[in-house]
Amino acid sequence: MNPSSGGTSSTAPFTRILEMLRPDLLRFAFWLARDRAVAEDVVQETLIRAWKSREELKDSSAVRPWLLTIVRREHARLYERKRLPTVDVDEVEALGDPALASDGDAGLHDLRGAIMKLPDEYREPLVLQVLGGFSTAEIATELKLTQPTVLTRLFRARNKLRVIYGLAPAEDAE
Amino acid sequence: MNSGSPECRHARLQIGGDPQGLSADVAAHLSTCAECTRFRAETLALDARLRAALELPLPQFRKAVPPARRFALAASVVLAMIIAGGFWVFRPQPALADEVVAHVLEEAGSWDQQKLLPGSAVADVLRTAGVQFDATLPVVYAYACPFHGHRVPHLVIQTDNGPMTVMLLAHEPVSQRTEFAENGLHGVLLPAGSGSVAVLMRHGEVPADVAARIVSAARW
Repeated sequence: MNPSSGGTSSTAPFTRILEMLRPDLLRFAFWLARDRAVAEDVVQETLIRAWKSREELKDSSAVRPWLLTIVRREHARLYERKRLPTVDVDEVEALGDPALASDGDAGLHDLRGAIMKLPDEYREPLVLQVLGGFSTAEIATELKLTQPTVLTRLFRARNKLRVIYGLAPAEDAE
Repeated sequence: MNSGSPECRHARLQIGGDPQGLSADVAAHLSTCAECTRFRAETLALDARLRAALELPLPQFRKAVPPARRFALAASVVLAMIIAGGFWVFRPQPALADEVVAHVLEEAGSWDQQKLLPGSAVADVLRTAGVQFDATLPVVYAYACPFHGHRVPHLVIQTDNGPMTVMLLAHEPVSQRTEFAENGLHGVLLPAGSGSVAVLMRHGEVPADVAARIVSAARW
């Protein structure tokens, strides 16, 4: 293939890319932390760390997963370092956090609430896969799990959400 | 096929764990099991809603961030820019058409969908990507896929000429119509306002009138 035109800019500066991807990073951090203040802190740390480490990124097409990986690690580091209390997900919902707004789409609101209530071990790989676009192999590497374990956790996460979506749950493999 | 059979349980574990991926054994099973095929279609529809759910409304998200925290964040970014005192420039990227083909090949299972998606599932995908598209077209596959830092609607539409993949590239301007062919796929990139539309088919070239209709159906 040798197309005569392509339309992508080849000179986008790193700072512009960071700003462009910041919304994605913030959403991703929020679903990991379930707390907007923590998410902001994590993204702030991520941007600084990414800037300092920018020369490690050799493949520009990998910038998004690279940044999301930093977000995940910063999130884990923050909890290790500060020993933050776990978030009461019922309290988050009760506060009517605007981050969970759904423009009157009750189904979407319910789904967001259900995702919030998923245990970390199910929610994290699901967010990595669906929002982050990571493969099961990449998730396994990142979470230091086997691929079958990741697959089972993703299956169970979706199985819990099928009910919220009005579908019958599948028979669990276990 | 009995949905409780080992083959079905294996297929559903694979599909529930990774509905986008389709191993050869699961694909072979789906060709003989209507229940598991339906399960996969349900799971793909669920995933479209999941993506929409995970795409939190950022303007409202930002609204509640304390001003002091916003200032701290902005200051940190500006400081980082000043410290660096220069720009880090990316290497040239492969041509857009190459990347579109690579993306479509990664989601090879998308071509095999038969069941029409509900309008709400398609609307979720379009809303996630911030794109409008004529909802009357028969869409059998819809995802807001990550592409160049944006969410891009990746649709498969049933046409008289067979399934047709459409990617609505609102942030990818092209200067002229560009046809391409690679890995058994024929496609065309078309200018569409400030962005572009990629249309691909597996069998034969994309009919010009159909491509034009696709472009006219896209808005951003």
